[in-house]
Amino acid sequence: MAELTLDAVTKVFQEGDGSEVVAVDDVNIDIGDGEFLVLVGPSGCGKSTTLRMIAGLETISSGEIRLGGSRLNEKQPAERDIAMVFQSYALYPHMTVRQNMSFGLEESTDLDDDTIRETVTDAATTMGIENLLDRKPGELSGGQQQRVALGRAIVRDPEVFLMDEPLSNLDAKLRAGMRTEIQRLQEDLDVTTVYVTHDQTEAMTMGDRIAVLDDGELMQVGSPLELYHRPANQFVAGFIGDPSMNFFDVSHEGGTLVGDGFEYPLSSDVASDLGETTDCVLGVRPEDVSLVESATDAHDFRTTVEVVEPMGNENNVYLSFGDEPSDEEPDQRFVATVGGLRRVERDSTVVARIPEDSVHLFDAATGDALHNRVLEEDVETQATIN
Amino acid sequence: MSQQVATEGTTDETDRETGLLGGYGLRRVVLYAILLAMGVFYLVPIETGVMTAFTDPASYTGRAPFLPPLEPLVANSGEFSIQPWQNAVSGLSQGLLNSMILVIPATVLSGLLGSMAAYGLTNVHWRGQLAIYMLFVAGIFIPYQAVLVPLTQFWYNVVPLRTMFEPVGMALPIIEPYHWKLVALIVTHVAYGLPICTLLFRAHYKKLSDEMLEAARLDGASVTRIYRRIVLPLSIPMFAVVFIYQFTQIWNDLLFALTIVQFGDAAVVTQELVGIGVSQSGTNFPLRMAAALVAALPTLVVYVFFGDKFARGVAA
Repeated sequence: MAELTLDAVTKVFQEGDGSEVVAVDDVNIDIGDGEFLVLVGPSGCGKSTTLRMIAGLETISSGEIRLGGSRLNEKQPAERDIAMVFQSYALYPHMTVRQNMSFGLEESTDLDDDTIRETVTDAATTMGIENLLDRKPGELSGGQQQRVALGRAIVRDPEVFLMDEPLSNLDAKLRAGMRTEIQRLQEDLDVTTVYVTHDQTEAMTMGDRIAVLDDGELMQVGSPLELYHRPANQFVAGFIGDPSMNFFDVSHEGGTLVGDGFEYPLSSDVASDLGETTDCVLGVRPEDVSLVESATDAHDFRTTVEVVEPMGNENNVYLSFGDEPSDEEPDQRFVATVGGLRRVERDSTVVARIPEDSVHLFDAATGDALHNRVLEEDVETQATIN
Repeated sequence: MSQQVATEGTTDETDRETGLLGGYGLRRVVLYAILLAMGVFYLVPIETGVMTAFTDPASYTGRAPFLPPLEPLVANSGEFSIQPWQNAVSGLSQGLLNSMILVIPATVLSGLLGSMAAYGLTNVHWRGQLAIYMLFVAGIFIPYQAVLVPLTQFWYNVVPLRTMFEPVGMALPIIEPYHWKLVALIVTHVAYGLPICTLLFRAHYKKLSDEMLEAARLDGASVTRIYRRIVLPLSIPMFAVVFIYQFTQIWNDLLFALTIVQFGDAAVVTQELVGIGVSQSGTNFPLRMAAALVAALPTLVVYVFFGDKFARGVAA
């Protein structure tokens, strides 16, 4: 059994001048056997450090990492039964693909040469690189090197795969292909996997569950849809989703949110979620903002189109409150996503509807979510299953 | 401005058309003349040495030393002879052998130890390694003059290598008792060459990918296994650089040899070169020239053999 448990894991780096930097702060995650967990966050959030602590390449300052119930902290990387795929692939340039893949088996097992040969050939066939076995890494393309790096990890049949941004050196098209391939491979092999990325699209599409880190602290762990629809705080809400959620600084005054250039009335249900909090942040996803013919509701606002970004299948429309186009940079700009065939002219005045069902409210001081959007029954059940 | 350039362009073309010695052509002629003069200037001493070495010593005086010995075809040009070469080889043979016994192990050892030290100081992380590395760097700057007396004291008085060596010399037929001096010389050269070798390898090892070495650790390889299977094979170009450098240094060294060997059967080739062809009846220049060329030959051979790897190592 290969459940991987991170129990209050903390990493403190000593700086040269004696000061301390907390890179990972009290992170708790339980990763089930065969689960695909994605660690995601901006650069420098501690996600790679966390992965390196699991691998044994960094010492653990405090806390405990357990694999299948046994403590890993003091074990050497080689004793952990963990394989890692690096961003730079880290292939051995002087060895052929076969030697690269055999190296781990030769160093960490007592298998005889024939068995190693056979195992490597099998793994190479799985990765579709059996015709490259006699080449050296320098003669391979980026995508092929990536396959060799994955092959080198799977050939050892480890308890856990660790992947550190393995796709970030590939071009966009290859990346999408490898994304599905890694998912398929992980499902076939059913090996517990921790995957680090800064790309929220990779996180959303690949992970069984996502753990969002910011500044060394764990923000939220959950299924992709949970994080998308029920973010625990403003950071997660803004990080997950592209284009990201619109935020408005507002103050809560007797059932109405007063913002810069607009007022947003709340129903009593939503208002009660806010409680005593007066300084809030209103959040709404771009696809939930719709452009309508005329203002019929208190949640409809007259806005001016600042910029239109046509994406083909949809348009990202940048709006500002008010109906006069001005040369000044607007204080508050927000994005609405509309269908790709709909024509929206720059500088024209449109009515934006922000439905109350789809708004999120956060405490401006702590960032904690006070109210999340209403989900229709079927979406909600799906979110809980995942 | 552009018009001016255009006019110049046309002048150049007409020059080339009108005559070889017109502006453009004349510049070339001058350039090649200067290059030729510089080439001659640099090569004449070597050429003179070679020509002299092929001249019979008896007919040496009174000829122009840089002209080929062509008697009796050309009068007074000296008589062709390979006698100086034969004498040089037989005169230097003991020194050549001793130098080989010295230079091969000393070069290989300083390269290997330098590579290991650099690996330990660069790719393996432990407390206090920077301080140790600073000691290595300081070693590069120890002046030779400062160590000459201590070296003699060390090898003749402090370490009784001579007496330790006697039983070995008795037991093994190919080892002579005087070889202890060469062993002392090997150790001295390795110790003195180690800092610079370490520095060269360290520059190379700093560029090795950390992720690659970490991947090897995760693959289960120990620190020594990573060195043997990953780092060592990737250092071959740098070994070529270090081998050429150390070989030349040690082969050409006279100072340590004079200090440690002093005189006797263990004298290396540079020591023998000092005295060859010199006697009370005068200097035998053909023999001296031939001996100098013979003594320089091994370093040339090393350059030819390792040259291409050397170029890759310097570029790496």
